[in-house]
Amino acid sequence: MNAVPLSSMTQVLPEIVLAIGGMALLMFGAYRDRVDNAVCVLSVLLLAAAGVTVTIIPNGNVFGTSFILDDYARFLKILAYLGSAFAIVMSLNYQTLEKQRTFEYPILILLSTVGMGMLISAGDLIALYLGLELMSLALYVVAASNRDSLQSTEAGLKYFVLGALSSGMLLYGCSLIYGFTGNVSFNGIAKASSQGGLGLIFGLVFLFAGFCFKVSAVPFHMWTPDVYEGAPTPVTAFFAAAPKIAAMAIFARATISAFPGITHQWQQIVVFVSIASMALGAFAAIGQTNIKRLMAYSSIGHMGFALVGLAAGTPEGVQGVLVYMSIYLAMTVGTFAVILSMRRSEGMVEKISDLSGLSRSNPGLAFFLALLLFSLAGIPPLAGFFAKYYVFLGAMKAGLYGLAVIGVLASVVGAYYYLLIVKIMYFDEPAKDFNPVPGELKAVLGVAGLFNLLYFVYPAPLIGAAGIAAKSLF
Amino acid sequence: MSELLQDYLPLVIFIAIAMGLGLALLVAPFLVAYKSPDPEKLSAYECGFNAFDDARMKFDVRFYLVAILFIIFDLEVAFLFPWAIVYGHLGVYGFWSMMVFLGVLTIGFIYEWKKGALEWD
Amino acid sequence: MYLAIVLLPLLGAILGAVIALAGARARFPGAEPSDDHHAPHADHGAHAAQAHADGGQDDHHGPVEPAAAGSRATEIITTSLLMIACVLAWIAFWKVGFGHQDERVRLFTWMISADLKVDWALRIDTLTAVMLVVVTTVSALVHLYSIGYMAEDPYRPRFFAYLSLFTFAMLALVTADNLAQMFFGWEGVGLASYLLIGFWYHKPEANAAAIKAFVVNRVGDFGFALGIFGVFMMTSSIDFDTIFAAAPSLTGKTIDFFGWRADALTLICLLLFMGAMGKSAQFLLHTWLPDAMEGPTPVSALIHAATMVTAGVFMVARLSPLFELAPNAAAFVTLIGATTAFFAATVGLVQNDIKRIVAYSTCSQLGYMFVAMGVGAYSVGMFHLFTHAFFKALLFLGSGSVIMAMHHEQDIRNMGGLRKKIPFTYWCMVIGTLALTGFPLTAGYFSKDAIIEAAYSGRNPFAIYAFVMTVIAAFMTAFYSWRLIYKTFHGAPHDQRHYDAAHESPLVILIPLGVLAVGSLGAGFAFKEFFAGHEVEHFFRESLKQGHIIDEMHHVPFIVAWLPTVMLALGWGLAAYMYLLHPEIAPRLARQHDALYRFLLNKWYVDELYNLIFVRPALWFGRVFWKGGDGYIIDGFGPDGVSARVLDITRNIVRLQTGYLYHYAFAMLIGAAALITWFMFSGAGVH
Repeated sequence: MNAVPLSSMTQVLPEIVLAIGGMALLMFGAYRDRVDNAVCVLSVLLLAAAGVTVTIIPNGNVFGTSFILDDYARFLKILAYLGSAFAIVMSLNYQTLEKQRTFEYPILILLSTVGMGMLISAGDLIALYLGLELMSLALYVVAASNRDSLQSTEAGLKYFVLGALSSGMLLYGCSLIYGFTGNVSFNGIAKASSQGGLGLIFGLVFLFAGFCFKVSAVPFHMWTPDVYEGAPTPVTAFFAAAPKIAAMAIFARATISAFPGITHQWQQIVVFVSIASMALGAFAAIGQTNIKRLMAYSSIGHMGFALVGLAAGTPEGVQGVLVYMSIYLAMTVGTFAVILSMRRSEGMVEKISDLSGLSRSNPGLAFFLALLLFSLAGIPPLAGFFAKYYVFLGAMKAGLYGLAVIGVLASVVGAYYYLLIVKIMYFDEPAKDFNPVPGELKAVLGVAGLFNLLYFVYPAPLIGAAGIAAKSLF
Repeated sequence: MSELLQDYLPLVIFIAIAMGLGLALLVAPFLVAYKSPDPEKLSAYECGFNAFDDARMKFDVRFYLVAILFIIFDLEVAFLFPWAIVYGHLGVYGFWSMMVFLGVLTIGFIYEWKKGALEWD
Repeated sequence: MYLAIVLLPLLGAILGAVIALAGARARFPGAEPSDDHHAPHADHGAHAAQAHADGGQDDHHGPVEPAAAGSRATEIITTSLLMIACVLAWIAFWKVGFGHQDERVRLFTWMISADLKVDWALRIDTLTAVMLVVVTTVSALVHLYSIGYMAEDPYRPRFFAYLSLFTFAMLALVTADNLAQMFFGWEGVGLASYLLIGFWYHKPEANAAAIKAFVVNRVGDFGFALGIFGVFMMTSSIDFDTIFAAAPSLTGKTIDFFGWRADALTLICLLLFMGAMGKSAQFLLHTWLPDAMEGPTPVSALIHAATMVTAGVFMVARLSPLFELAPNAAAFVTLIGATTAFFAATVGLVQNDIKRIVAYSTCSQLGYMFVAMGVGAYSVGMFHLFTHAFFKALLFLGSGSVIMAMHHEQDIRNMGGLRKKIPFTYWCMVIGTLALTGFPLTAGYFSKDAIIEAAYSGRNPFAIYAFVMTVIAAFMTAFYSWRLIYKTFHGAPHDQRHYDAAHESPLVILIPLGVLAVGSLGAGFAFKEFFAGHEVEHFFRESLKQGHIIDEMHHVPFIVAWLPTVMLALGWGLAAYMYLLHPEIAPRLARQHDALYRFLLNKWYVDELYNLIFVRPALWFGRVFWKGGDGYIIDGFGPDGVSARVLDITRNIVRLQTGYLYHYAFAMLIGAAALITWFMFSGAGVH
């Protein structure tokens, strides 16, 4: 019989670790009377274990070519694990204080992370869909995890309904692609797609619609502000980081490895989506008063910038995307650590005006937030500048000068609202003080801030790793 | 393109027959059946009484929970039937695949039990 | 020694500034000083005690607040440093003027740029020595005087630091060995003047006057700078010795100036004189001087009478070798000087503010000096500068004493009969007036009469014009000066309350008055031979150009020599008649000649004219460029327009985010449909 030896499944080990660990923790939590940080800590340990595993196991494919572990997947999985781990760490204090402690939260993140791993490694359309749904289902649930909050449940419901719609589009695209190429594996599609065809393009458009929804790129971004604002803040922090990385990973992998024959066509879509996202992210954020909503538009804009690299369709471009996502992770996590620190005795606050005069009431916090905002705005020598630099460089090398110029212009407009916050913190009259910042947030903020500040000192490891990862796609 | 569409021809025929049959069965009673209505026949009743209130009332959310939980295990059984039929061809790999699937479901079942989802009160 | 003379005031200025800054920091910890601060009242008692100890003035104007810490220390430091400098200056004067020991102290190389090489050197000759004496003496006396006059001002350290800074800049100016150095001092005194006029910066008029002085001086400085450039262009040097050596070879050369081939020396001299006009408040550029009286009175005495305003005269004297070679420019100097002498005297006739009368008098006397310069009697001009410094400082300080006695009343119409209340001040004022009007044997008698004689014997086209003007001005000088005396000190008091409270000033004020009175009486007689007599050539030697005019002016007709004295007698007599004997005549006369009176009272409407010709159009242009050019075009299509469009876009985009699920879903479908449509019509996928 066609028995598959277990040893051939080494490459799935990180996912197996996370999945079994997650289920074990579910039992652990269910049979435990007390509710404390144990599950969270164990979840982080599991993620660390998965991270270690993914670095030491060799490259290879499992289940035919459905599941691919290459340098690209390894790089992005580590990023995704980091994002998930940060999200769990940052939720510790929040859950205690908001009396929302549920041991399911870290487990749901773990299960979602399994989905991300699956998604990042997906080598065909079936695996892609499985990973996507596994990731998304857990996300829908965590978005609504504050069941007593109208906003949170609304966010969960909106995300679920629109997510279902986007999944439907994606599936429709998959079926069209399968129909016109007779293949579900990326390699097979690549071989068959060289002759093109309108049907295939239609399939591509719907497939991209699904991807764009997940990375929240315009015009499939509409859920993002509402969900970011409505979801509990640690959940928003999670949404902004890890799932974006996974979705961008599969976006790039599917595009590069499945459709090299119709580069010109998908390039048009990516360029359009990229420009629209950068512009909308920049313009719409200016009108925001809620910092979580602002971060939603900020992430839309940043996804637009990352897509600039993808639009290039070259190894340099993909390298730019990977560097961008890494730095984006650091910036986002740091910023959300500050947002989670915006707590007064009466509870969390999320208005931008609540930050006014922060430089006087809490100079350290203000300094780090200013640093991160400068980085988000892309001001040298902070990391955010280099992130943009690499994607624009990739685009320029691919001849997409117009796109690069529009990107720079959009980043100028975008700089306005980041700097506005800095101005509010440093020049406005102080609002009421925040409560002391809990230790784990300080640690996350410190790590993220110093990464952004000192990245330029020794950028080689990240650039090098991203370069190797990007090459494995081509 | 036309070849591809020809492949879908049986599907089109199938859909056409299904719709035609369904419509025919729906319409037929109106045309064929004997009708002699009177007020008593047309009024709604429940177990011999007049209706107490509107039929479109709110359900307890627990019904949904039970329904969802039912669907999960319903699907489990729906998977088990084909698996059982071809079990002889699947071998060890197929066996363990289903065991993993059942294991995951079992963990979910234990969880919902511990959380009290199966208790009505 | 010379270095010490120049640097001691700078040292004083720096120490004073440090004390002032430290005091300001202590007073306003962590905050900018605002102009409406009031003192912590805990200190009030101590302050009052100190004020009385300082000299017994009470109800001084200004906010009641404690003096800055270290006020007394600053006063002592700056004043004593100036005293030392003054003594040294007199020694230098003796050595240079009578010992004939000219000196050139080269200190360091200031800048080198291609051909331009500028050293910092002190040029000590008689001309410099005279100025050193004038500047340090008056400055030292004014410092001393200010201790009394400013006793109640809370910002004395700043004041004294400014005064010393001014003195340093003035000394740098007069010891200059090249034009760049002179320009440094020139701008330095301009700055100090600006700071001191605006010393009471909470008074809007003081600020306006300071700005006006600064701006009007810039007009002159523009010419001065162009003149320096011209000199450098023609001689490749700005060093005095080199310039003077090269000057004779420049005659007949021309400069292309806006397409006009101008005679080089004439053009340069006119440009340089433009600077002098600004600094010395000559007609057309004089408007700032009367307004500068908003500053404290010691400042008026030091800067706006005795020293800074004479910088222009000094400059012309210093550059006399150039002016001597440019007769057209010299004629122009004569013209302007004579016109100023006449114009300022006419305006002085009708003014009512005691300080403004003296200010117009200063303006007029500066005109006299330029007349002397213009006709080539440089030493005579310097003589008048020298004597004028004494009696004009005396008059100003005396006025200050009067003003203090009257509790900051400056309008002479409200004074009267003060003779008995403040006799010492009265007699000092009388001495000053006698000297100013040229009463025989006083300082002014020798210097002013010499100028009139020089004008008479002058050779240039405007000499006779100058002679007539100066003689008329002498008559008017006598009139307005004695009018001042009579209205202030004689007759019945006009303001009984002020009159009753009037009191003689303290000793620190009276001592400078006394010293200056002695100077006013004796300076002319003592030095007449050296400045305007037979000793001139020995005294000034090469520092000044000397023509035959000194000889010629000793041979003027008897009537010319005595004309000024006659004018004095007439003016005095008229003043006595109108203000002492028949006080009702003056108002009637004013009513009869209303137009003339208004014309004079409004200073020939020069300010109004400037306002119409320069200020309004400039403001209009400014407004057009600001509103139209910058505001509408640049901002409108630049930053403001872009940011407004950005906000419009933002508003519209934000409106898209409705919160309705079906809108979101619709947007997604529209997006997908749009992409599909695009590919259908672009036909991109069809191969």
